[in-house]
Amino acid sequence: MDKQSDFVLRTIEERDIRFVRLWFTDVLGTLKSVAVAPAELEGAFAEGLGFDGSAIEGFARVYESDMLAKPDPATFAVLPWRSESPGVARMFCDILMPDGTPSYADPRWVLKRTLSRAADLGFSFYTHPEVEFYLLKHAPGDGPLEPIDHYGYFDNSPQSIGHDFRRQAITMLEAMGISVEFSHHEGGPGQQEIDLRYADALTTADNLMTFRLVMKEVALEQGVYASFMPKPFRDAPGSGMHTHVSLFEGDRNAFHEPGAPYQLSKVARSFIAGLLVHAPEITAVTNQWVNSYKRLAGGGEAPAWICWGHNNRSALIRVPMYKPTKGNSTRVEVRSLDSACNPYLAYALLLAAGLKGIEESYDLPPGAEDDVWALTPAERRALGMRPLPLSLNQAIQEMERSELVAETLGEHVFDFFLRNKQAEWEDYRRQVTPWELDRYLSTL
Amino acid sequence: MTGRPTTPSGALARRGFLDPVAAERLLQSMPAASEELVEDLSRSADPDRALEHLAGIAAAMDRRSLDGVLHDPDDRAALVAVLATSDALARHLARHPARARGLGRVPAAHRGAGHVRATLLRAVGADPDAPEPTATAAHPQDALRVAYRDLLVEAVVRDVVHGASFEDVSAELADLADAALEAGLAIARSELPPDSAPCRLAVIAMGKCGGRELNYVSDVDVIFVAEPRDGADETEALRTATRLATGLMRACGEATAEGELWQVDAALRPEGKQGALVRTLASHLGYYERWARTWEFQALLKARPAAGDRALGEAYVNAVTPLVWSAADRDGFVADVQAMRRRVEEHIPAKEADRQLKLGRGGLRDVEFAVQLLQLVHGRSDVMLRSPTTLVALESLATWGYIGREDGATLAAAYRFLRTLEHRIQLIELRRTHVVPEDDESLRRIGRSLGLRGDAVEELMEEWRRHAREVRRIHEKLFYRPLLQAVARLDAGIARLTPEAAEQRLEALGYTDPVGALRHLEALTAGVSRRAAIQRTLLPVLLGWFAEGPDPDAALLGFRRMSDALGSTPWYLRLLRDESVAAERMARLLSSSRYAADLLLRAPEAVAMLADDDELRPRTRESLEAEADVAVLRHDDATAAIAAVRGLRRRELFRISAADVLGLLNEDEVMTALTDVAEATVSGGLQVAVREVTGGMALPPRFAIIAMGRFGGSELGYGSDVDVMFAYDPAPGADEQETATAALAIANELRRLLMVPSTDPPLEIDADLRPEGRQGPLVRSLASYRAYYERWSSPWEAQALLRGRPVAGDVGLGAELAEVFDPVRWPAGGASDEDVREMRRLKARMEAERLPRGADPTLHTKMGRGGLADVEWVAQLLQLRHAHDVPGLRTTSTLGALRVAADAGLLTTSDEEALERAWLLATSVRNAVVLARGVAADSVPSSGRDLAIVAHLMDIRVTGDLLEHYRRTTRRARGVVERVFYD
Repeated sequence: MDKQSDFVLRTIEERDIRFVRLWFTDVLGTLKSVAVAPAELEGAFAEGLGFDGSAIEGFARVYESDMLAKPDPATFAVLPWRSESPGVARMFCDILMPDGTPSYADPRWVLKRTLSRAADLGFSFYTHPEVEFYLLKHAPGDGPLEPIDHYGYFDNSPQSIGHDFRRQAITMLEAMGISVEFSHHEGGPGQQEIDLRYADALTTADNLMTFRLVMKEVALEQGVYASFMPKPFRDAPGSGMHTHVSLFEGDRNAFHEPGAPYQLSKVARSFIAGLLVHAPEITAVTNQWVNSYKRLAGGGEAPAWICWGHNNRSALIRVPMYKPTKGNSTRVEVRSLDSACNPYLAYALLLAAGLKGIEESYDLPPGAEDDVWALTPAERRALGMRPLPLSLNQAIQEMERSELVAETLGEHVFDFFLRNKQAEWEDYRRQVTPWELDRYLSTL
Repeated sequence: MTGRPTTPSGALARRGFLDPVAAERLLQSMPAASEELVEDLSRSADPDRALEHLAGIAAAMDRRSLDGVLHDPDDRAALVAVLATSDALARHLARHPARARGLGRVPAAHRGAGHVRATLLRAVGADPDAPEPTATAAHPQDALRVAYRDLLVEAVVRDVVHGASFEDVSAELADLADAALEAGLAIARSELPPDSAPCRLAVIAMGKCGGRELNYVSDVDVIFVAEPRDGADETEALRTATRLATGLMRACGEATAEGELWQVDAALRPEGKQGALVRTLASHLGYYERWARTWEFQALLKARPAAGDRALGEAYVNAVTPLVWSAADRDGFVADVQAMRRRVEEHIPAKEADRQLKLGRGGLRDVEFAVQLLQLVHGRSDVMLRSPTTLVALESLATWGYIGREDGATLAAAYRFLRTLEHRIQLIELRRTHVVPEDDESLRRIGRSLGLRGDAVEELMEEWRRHAREVRRIHEKLFYRPLLQAVARLDAGIARLTPEAAEQRLEALGYTDPVGALRHLEALTAGVSRRAAIQRTLLPVLLGWFAEGPDPDAALLGFRRMSDALGSTPWYLRLLRDESVAAERMARLLSSSRYAADLLLRAPEAVAMLADDDELRPRTRESLEAEADVAVLRHDDATAAIAAVRGLRRRELFRISAADVLGLLNEDEVMTALTDVAEATVSGGLQVAVREVTGGMALPPRFAIIAMGRFGGSELGYGSDVDVMFAYDPAPGADEQETATAALAIANELRRLLMVPSTDPPLEIDADLRPEGRQGPLVRSLASYRAYYERWSSPWEAQALLRGRPVAGDVGLGAELAEVFDPVRWPAGGASDEDVREMRRLKARMEAERLPRGADPTLHTKMGRGGLADVEWVAQLLQLRHAHDVPGLRTTSTLGALRVAADAGLLTTSDEEALERAWLLATSVRNAVVLARGVAADSVPSSGRDLAIVAHLMDIRVTGDLLEHYRRTTRRARGVVERVFYD
């Protein structure tokens, strides 16, 4: 047993921890948790904890269902929310096959694999997400869809629930070792934004899984409901997860080149070009729900066309204003992701698309300078801007043809994801919506 | 010659000068030259070079000093020896001629680490007695280089003049490196800004320097450890320490007017080149406890405080040592070690491979690696094995019985020779090289420097090859032979491996049941029989071969069974004794293929086949059929006759599977060979059955067998059933009922004969593809076939007939049947739209229904996505539609049809390739599954040992990669199927 595991076992003893939750993520990005008593933990560290993989979305088929969850002692944290205290802690797990080799079905492993491919090229990948979500008065089923307030972007709302919420949420995140850079009221009624500090992509993805749960818990304690649904209100902005990404070579920001246009190095330009070329085929993962496409259709700051721009908030990729004192902070912002994606898979694909651009030395097309939404379709065509897929169905079809996505996700996850999303689309197609009833029933 | 007195140049030639004319001229130009000088030169490693260098130095010296050197016999001899050995040091002496004096007074014994440390510190103007010596000299880097080379010259004198041992020379070089690191640190201190935070810094030597077995020229591996001093802030202290470390690396590695010493390499530190250059002790420990890989622990074996803060250095080594000794308990230790081994072998550029001293099988690195591995495995429980020095460790392994005494001594001698050879090669130019030069001149110089005096080149090569031969058998000697001693009944008092240590070692080598393995070893080697004696010699080699395969435990058990069956047959013992290629091949089969191993154990004498590549070439169908015919004729008794035919089949299956596992056959050849064997078996069996049934008949019918499915396509795999249809034709005037009964009896008798339990594997005949399937009669007459296909036939049956091919029985009847099939399978004008639609629907329904419950469609080789059925249906659809006007499509072969279709423009080349790749991959996976498990399965094994063995047989190292590769290849094929078959 190594020191780290010893430390965990000692802490459990000292702090009177009664249960340890072992966390992992299924292919669709749902957090899974299995509680073990401290006595079982030693065995779990040594050999992993056996569980039935066929019960988890996308993990295994019935006949090969034995899998192992092996906790990573470095991720040990005591859960700070009241409903769990006293004495509950958590650790993230890697999913292993019975022979101890990593499972191709584990999204964490998908990201790790892609990161190690980047490492082979000398790069490490950093991400900084800005997570948006709504606070609602009622949980689904408990009352009408109603936001907690009607404030707007950056509104200072001293006595509001939102203000208290953010303060408590941030305290809790920090208690679990997740640093918050920034938080404010977003544009929609009741909509919040919390930005996590930049970190390597694997840590960020782990943090996002924790983040979503913390938001739900804090909301519960305050008698409200937090939702990451991409587009709950027709007339208010959706919840995106703009992510700033950068590559480092050792301590040096590989995107930065003093004197180049926007200080963007050749690596950065090819990386952006890779994201643009492969944007359609990765959208089914960055925007994985039927509802995700309602956000993309919403106009405003949601990117619907494939282009990049310097400080252009209507473009898919925004190159933020450069601050001369911060060469190491050169980065690009990908704006398509929404808060309900699987962060492991989505980050793996962003990285893979960018690396492809670097490996194949893609050329970067000219940047967009106008508000893309304000252009006419003919203008957009003239500027060579393709649309992002308009629906989950289109996105699935683009993904199906993609070798890049298949290679990055691995054939197992690729196949499962497509089948699952096809089923979701089929189910959606059969729905008769209130909109249809409103519009047709009285006249037809 | 005419009897004239010999000219001086002639005399010089006889005394070893290669260019006597030039030598004579040089000697004449040197006033102090003497007969004694010529004598010294002629005894040296390279008289011409030595003289040339001497002339250069003489020119730079004043006359008195030169006379002093050349008249003192000891000074002269030492100088000549150094000049003859090293061009680089000769140039050093030419630049600093005063230092060429007095070499005769260099003592035979090294003056000690303290002496060299003080010398180099003083050279840079630092006080050796200060707690933190700091350089004050004006050009400390140059001063360090000159002083270092002076000491190096001394070391060379001890090496080549006094004949110091390899151990002493390499230890002295390590002391010199320590001293230079200390002086480099003193220089770095002098460059620190005055307000730097105080810190303690220790330089830990790793690698050869750490083991005090350094080369003349190599990178010096180090790790830096630092701690704040006097309550300084840790971050600030680490900043100072990092400055010191980079300053030290520069002081030693940078090229100045006086050249460079060597590179200081800190890449062995935690996280390698990505990691911080300097860490605190706690940070080092944190890393090793959590993140370190097996090879890092192996590297830590050699950690030794070399310079800087002594107490901190000791604390570091004391703290990491316990970690080193638990490395062998870590998860994945065996896999790591095997991967490390492969890396050692893979890193040699092919063109230098045969002249490399360091890398590759049997190179120096291999010796060091093997010794370290044994230390890691056994050092945990035995503190006597923990020396960082290769030769010392080797000796203690022998002393305490972990390896044989003689083996230990032979290897030590070889290691000493190879290292000394490497030293002499490096000395010439003081260059870091491990490649034996190719030109005779250099080889002569090196050989003479090692004291070889006859034909130095020839003798040197001979010595080298002799030692290399010993080293190449290192794994046998070090790893495996001692295991036998552990189970042998030897005299008490002889040190040997204990059973516990033997189990540890077997586990480290990849055996999962070490207790069982030891039991087999004991049984195999016990006693005084010739067999036991031979097996004692061979087993160390075999155990290594077994361990390279995926299932060493099964291999050892298999070998024991072989030995029980054949143990006293002289030819078998000879085969083992000679350690022939046959023995190695047997080891590989036993450890990687249950199928081949089963066939071998059914009739162990087949092992003889492995000796000869010709024997492993599949027999032709003609020769097999001829052999079967003769066997049937020879035995009147049906049981005996069929036994001969089936024995033939078993032997051929072994031949094919063995050749396949050993990588001698490609997929096409395997399919053809298996089909040929099946044809000969069916044909032989049919003769026996016909003889049994129609023996008394006046008018026996003609009888024929049509191969269908993969059999018809000549595409059989190890696990394939043999699909057939039976047909007969009554003799004119024969009784119809009687004939029909006889025909049915023939078919049934054939099936029975081929299935009767026996030591030979059964062959299952499947007639389900006949008209009306299982509902239809098993045997039909020619007329009945004709009537049936004229009236009924569905598209499905036309499709089945595409692969119909007469293979046994009456040739004329076969041809007549083919004529009946042709208009059905190659319909004039192509299959009708309605038939095509029907086929597509049938296929679509099969996709939904035929896949077994719970099966993963992405891994099912037969009915899965992009699997065999997908590809075959594409080929068959193209045939049904186009065979009438593309004659090449009239083939029973799937790949043949696809290739013709591509040539005819019915498929794009890339589509054809995608289909072909998937079909071949599915085929080889199916074959590999049977080879691995002994029985067929329709899915790629998705985990566990079966997957590991299948991957090994397919030359894929990471098991998960096989699944990825399979899913990817078949996904692409499926894309083609969707377009080509359905649209």
